[in-house]
Amino acid sequence: MTARLSDRIAGTILFVLAVWFWITAGDYVVAFGDPAGPSLFPRIVAFPLGLFALFLVLRPDPNPEWFRWPQALGQIGTIVALFAYPFILEPLGFPLATLLITLVLAKILGGSWLQSVLCGIVVGFGLYFLFNYGFDLPLPVGPIFG
Amino acid sequence: METLGFLFHGFEEALIPLNIALALIGCFVGTIVGALPGLGPVNGVAILIPLAFSLQLPAGSALILLSCVYYGCMYGGRISSIMLNIPGDEPAMMTCLDGYPMAKNGKAPEALAISGIASFVGAIASTIGLMLFAPLLVRFAIHFGPAEYFALYLLAFATIGGVTGSNPAKTLLGAAIGLALGCVGIDPQSGTARFTFGNIHLYDGFQAIIAIVGLFAISEVLILLETHLSERTGAVAVDRAFARWKDIKGTIPAMFRGSLVGFVSGILPGAGASLGSFLAYTVERRFSDQSNTFGTGDPKGVAAPEAGNNAAAGGALVPMLALGVPGSGTTAVLLALLISLNITPGPLLFQDQPQIVWGLIASLFMANVFLLLLNLPLVGVFTRMLSIPLWALMPFVVMISFVGVYSLSHSTFDLVVMVGFGLLGFVLRKLDIAVVPVVLGLLLGGEMEANMRRALAISAGDPWVFVSSGISIALYAATILFLGLAVFFAFRKRRQAAATIEDPERAMAD
Repeated sequence: MTARLSDRIAGTILFVLAVWFWITAGDYVVAFGDPAGPSLFPRIVAFPLGLFALFLVLRPDPNPEWFRWPQALGQIGTIVALFAYPFILEPLGFPLATLLITLVLAKILGGSWLQSVLCGIVVGFGLYFLFNYGFDLPLPVGPIFG
Repeated sequence: METLGFLFHGFEEALIPLNIALALIGCFVGTIVGALPGLGPVNGVAILIPLAFSLQLPAGSALILLSCVYYGCMYGGRISSIMLNIPGDEPAMMTCLDGYPMAKNGKAPEALAISGIASFVGAIASTIGLMLFAPLLVRFAIHFGPAEYFALYLLAFATIGGVTGSNPAKTLLGAAIGLALGCVGIDPQSGTARFTFGNIHLYDGFQAIIAIVGLFAISEVLILLETHLSERTGAVAVDRAFARWKDIKGTIPAMFRGSLVGFVSGILPGAGASLGSFLAYTVERRFSDQSNTFGTGDPKGVAAPEAGNNAAAGGALVPMLALGVPGSGTTAVLLALLISLNITPGPLLFQDQPQIVWGLIASLFMANVFLLLLNLPLVGVFTRMLSIPLWALMPFVVMISFVGVYSLSHSTFDLVVMVGFGLLGFVLRKLDIAVVPVVLGLLLGGEMEANMRRALAISAGDPWVFVSSGISIALYAATILFLGLAVFFAFRKRRQAAATIEDPERAMAD
């Protein structure tokens, strides 16, 4: 039998979180006329959180298949692209930032270069015009097209 | 007869041009979302919620739009089940069993027509059920005080645990994670900032809408990257456009049986449409599979689960509207919409804003007629959409999610939170912890805490208030019963799994 480490690690992390939650919640002061106060409910929540986390440590399920190569490369690329988007959105403006990330995602999903670039252009500018003019919800246009 | 009066007023609300247009759009978009493999009703509704919100639609209209998307998904899911043998969404899984063999036998038009009509029968039956049962439940729920609501929320977590995951401990852990995440932010009653690390962005807490888009849509994209890329098959060729009536006629009783089973399983909190179609198929098989034709393209095996999943979708709206306790993942997402619109579902909604409830019910009737009209003649259009490649579809879905969330608040921090929840959802799903209980915890946490504190304030701190009424004791008893059942089934499953071989490929059910 394998070590079933995944569930044990997740359980440990969640258990530590539950303990922290319990301790932190204790600091919140009880207001007058509110017998429960702001600390009781988080403590009630911390209890099952810790309990079931402990259960995970003691009775773990078999490990899942975390990575399937080569798809994992695509997943990592997607996660990086998704986290990058919020940081380039306002500096580059919506059309350009969206074009770039769409291009990357389309490429990861198996589009050719031409297909991915076209997809980026259509999605980037299409959504920009739809939201800005169609729905009247302004999006940042950025320095290039502004 | 007051129901008919209410329904009449509902139609006055539903027949406003804006609402008709939104219902049409919702039906069309919903069918597409349902038909495309990998995009289920939960994702479809989740992606569109921020949009409905930032377009500042009136509350009733927003609810109509998204409920029509929800119903549309239930119609659409069958198309790729039949044509590709890949369920368009999870409830459509059972339709593959007989739908795809039918299509391979050259009966694709019949399979599509039967499933379309079955969807209509199931959805109409369940909308009638919703109209009749929701007010009854409301009349009962009017006696609920804060202590009873607290018990009811506990019951919701217990029931959703029995169905969504194989391991009840993990489901409850998910619910606890959701409740804990829901505690983050300023406590509305005392003004204390909780678990915010002094970060001003966290003072508002995690907005349910943003968390939902991340947990469902973004994590779905990540999951899709490793599953669907490899397994794309061609659609079955169709040589005729129209179905023959004699093939359809024999399946009508199966549609009604499926509707009944589906509706009942939909009402049960936490069960949802997947269980509805599963049970409808199983029951129909017991009932009419004399010559072992099920699984080889029996039309009844297409009609029953399709009626079942559509009926369950309507049934799941009953506890959501009447009690504020969603019966499935998608209705949990609809609940998030209501909460964000400052509408508290439950008896007060029926009393104070009947036009919202009855407008919704009336537009569901209208939507089903639209959906039948869209799905019978236009089924070819939707079938052709199945060949949209993933590289064009998924980036578009991601960007719609981004732009919807961004236009809510114009905060890039929210986008980071959304992607963070996407990653969390991916990890949780890998660990076989269903995300629906997490969402439910996040959604219901605030109300649960408020009711708990209200109950304690009324009793001046006496904890016995929670078990002081017959209703709460009954609710706790039901909670314990459901938990007991979930544990029992989990143990039995474990023993069976240990008896055979250890199976590493566990299904991701949510």
